[in-house]
Amino acid sequence: MKCNEIARFTSELCMKLRKGKILSSTEATLVVLDTIMRASKACNDYFNDYLSEWLPKILHSRPASQLLINSLRQFLHHYILIARQKGISKVLSNVRRIIQDIKDSINREINSIALAASKRIIDDDVILTHSYSKTLVEVFRRARNDGIKFSVYVTESRPVGEGLITASTLAKLGIKTTLVIDSAVRYVMKRITKVFIGAEAIATNGAVVSKVGTSAIALAAKEARVRVYVAASTRKFSFETVFGELIEDIILGKAYILTSKEQLKGLNSKIRAEAPLYDVTPPEYIDAIITEVGLLAPQAIPILIKDMYGWPPKITKMDELINEVRNLD
Amino acid sequence: MTEMYIPKEVIRIRDYIKSMKIRGAGTIARAGAKALAIAAEKYVGNELSKFMKYMECIANYIRSARPTAVSLPNAIMYVMNRLRKSDAKSVEEARRIVIESANEFIDYSLKAIKIIGELGARRIEHGDVIMTHCHSTAALSVIITAYRQGKVSKVFVKETRPKMQGLITAKVLANEGLDVILIPDSAVRYYMRRADKVVVGADTIAANGAVVNKIGTSMVALAAKEARVRVYVAAESYKFSPLTLIGELVPIEIRNPTEIVSSEWLRENPGVEVFNPVFDVTPPEYIDAIITERGIIPPQAAILILMEEYGLSIKEIAKLSNETEVKIDEDYG
Repeated sequence: MKCNEIARFTSELCMKLRKGKILSSTEATLVVLDTIMRASKACNDYFNDYLSEWLPKILHSRPASQLLINSLRQFLHHYILIARQKGISKVLSNVRRIIQDIKDSINREINSIALAASKRIIDDDVILTHSYSKTLVEVFRRARNDGIKFSVYVTESRPVGEGLITASTLAKLGIKTTLVIDSAVRYVMKRITKVFIGAEAIATNGAVVSKVGTSAIALAAKEARVRVYVAASTRKFSFETVFGELIEDIILGKAYILTSKEQLKGLNSKIRAEAPLYDVTPPEYIDAIITEVGLLAPQAIPILIKDMYGWPPKITKMDELINEVRNLD
Repeated sequence: MTEMYIPKEVIRIRDYIKSMKIRGAGTIARAGAKALAIAAEKYVGNELSKFMKYMECIANYIRSARPTAVSLPNAIMYVMNRLRKSDAKSVEEARRIVIESANEFIDYSLKAIKIIGELGARRIEHGDVIMTHCHSTAALSVIITAYRQGKVSKVFVKETRPKMQGLITAKVLANEGLDVILIPDSAVRYYMRRADKVVVGADTIAANGAVVNKIGTSMVALAAKEARVRVYVAAESYKFSPLTLIGELVPIEIRNPTEIVSSEWLRENPGVEVFNPVFDVTPPEYIDAIITERGIIPPQAAILILMEEYGLSIKEIAKLSNETEVKIDEDYG
């Protein structure tokens, strides 16, 4: 594959990310990392140009995904360090290893979370989940393999409707699975013993950014005194929010995302459709965040951040790192 | 009764209600009342006791078209109670009572929507952003009347899966000239902080003021309460369910999974159960007021509407309910 081909592929990838076509943020991150690895081979001497042109676009296509931001930050740190020490020609041959290390860490984190979270599932649990999360599928798979007898309710998760994929995946794992529409969450909540959700990002105050509809589920759970667990690695912590940055909303604005063109016929121009992809669940609606280092109350997030990265956390902004890449020679 | 003649017009109306050719709570109720009037008109005979029996049979017959919809039995009860309580001395007199009461009900029901619109609009303030769910003629009457008074700035309409009745609502409002924003049901909490008022309709209102309405309504009401947005329910008084006075639960209809997913998807995923309840119950504490044609009442006053509507004491309603079979859904959403 040539450099311009990989550029075209990246452009299509950005479109998919923007429309929420790649469902889980973990999968999105893994695809992006693989694409960068292929670009390092295809673009060779132009790899830095590729990075400085496409990384901002990739990040802008899924701005809420903290896993993506932090993983790319980790990549750039290593990349710049090696480039400075050994020179540009050497660093290209190291890209594969840097990326493989990050992917391995991500997979290790998912396994640790699955281990910790699956222990929270007991016989006769009726779990409600929303959207599609690669991490949660692992959690449920492990609980099932441990012989725990539980069932899962899955919401349709409009506007994208990825709940159907979750339901299908879980049923194929042999888990008793029930699909409901998003409107039915309060109706079914009193049958539910625990809510498990994934996350795009966790803010410093423990607020969880996740697929739209999550915050309504958490609210209904709180009303019914059902516990809400969020499965997310520390890689999903948003350090930027320590400095007051807001996490950007993505709003899909075309009516056909909600309905078929058929049904839209005859609707006049006074009607606009809007569908946000994510919403924010306040920390007080969350009982625990399950990370690879263990189970935490959302209020404990700043303490963990301080332990891991100091306070205020020492992070380099993404645009500064991308600038550094631009200036590598 | 060995032989009972049912006029064919009455049979046709019942069939239309059953097959949903006649649909919508108000329309069904008016059709039921009309069928009673037709039956009374067509009756041949002079014996009052036989006429009374005949009317009870016709009433049961029409009522059984859709036994769970509250507006139909209520319309029938409206007419039949006036007949039962009358001291008619002849068939002629009794017939007149049925026809008059039926017409009275029909007029009443048609006027109710207009009055609800006018009363409800008083609760809407200048510049209000309204959120609504599903498609309700009464709720639309409130929103449109308020808009014509220059009060409404825009309306968030929830798509209302699985049947997407939000599209009907969006269309009606947009044709009136309102700015409409169609949103997925999952975004209810996201958009609630931008709304000032919620206006929804009702299928049935229980004696304690709990509102049975299209699935998702209780989630809207909960999100509204959290955001301190007021919730108004627009409903004609014949949507109040007398049977709930004696503690009966309102049955929640569960419909076909293919409303949510395709039959191919179901075949490919035999392990997935699709649960499709059609209504849910919003507790009275999440509702600020119910807008009826008799006035705007707190949900806790629902019982008063019921007692007044049917001119019955609680004892009488209890006795009545003993004679009616009610399906009880354990799963009181």
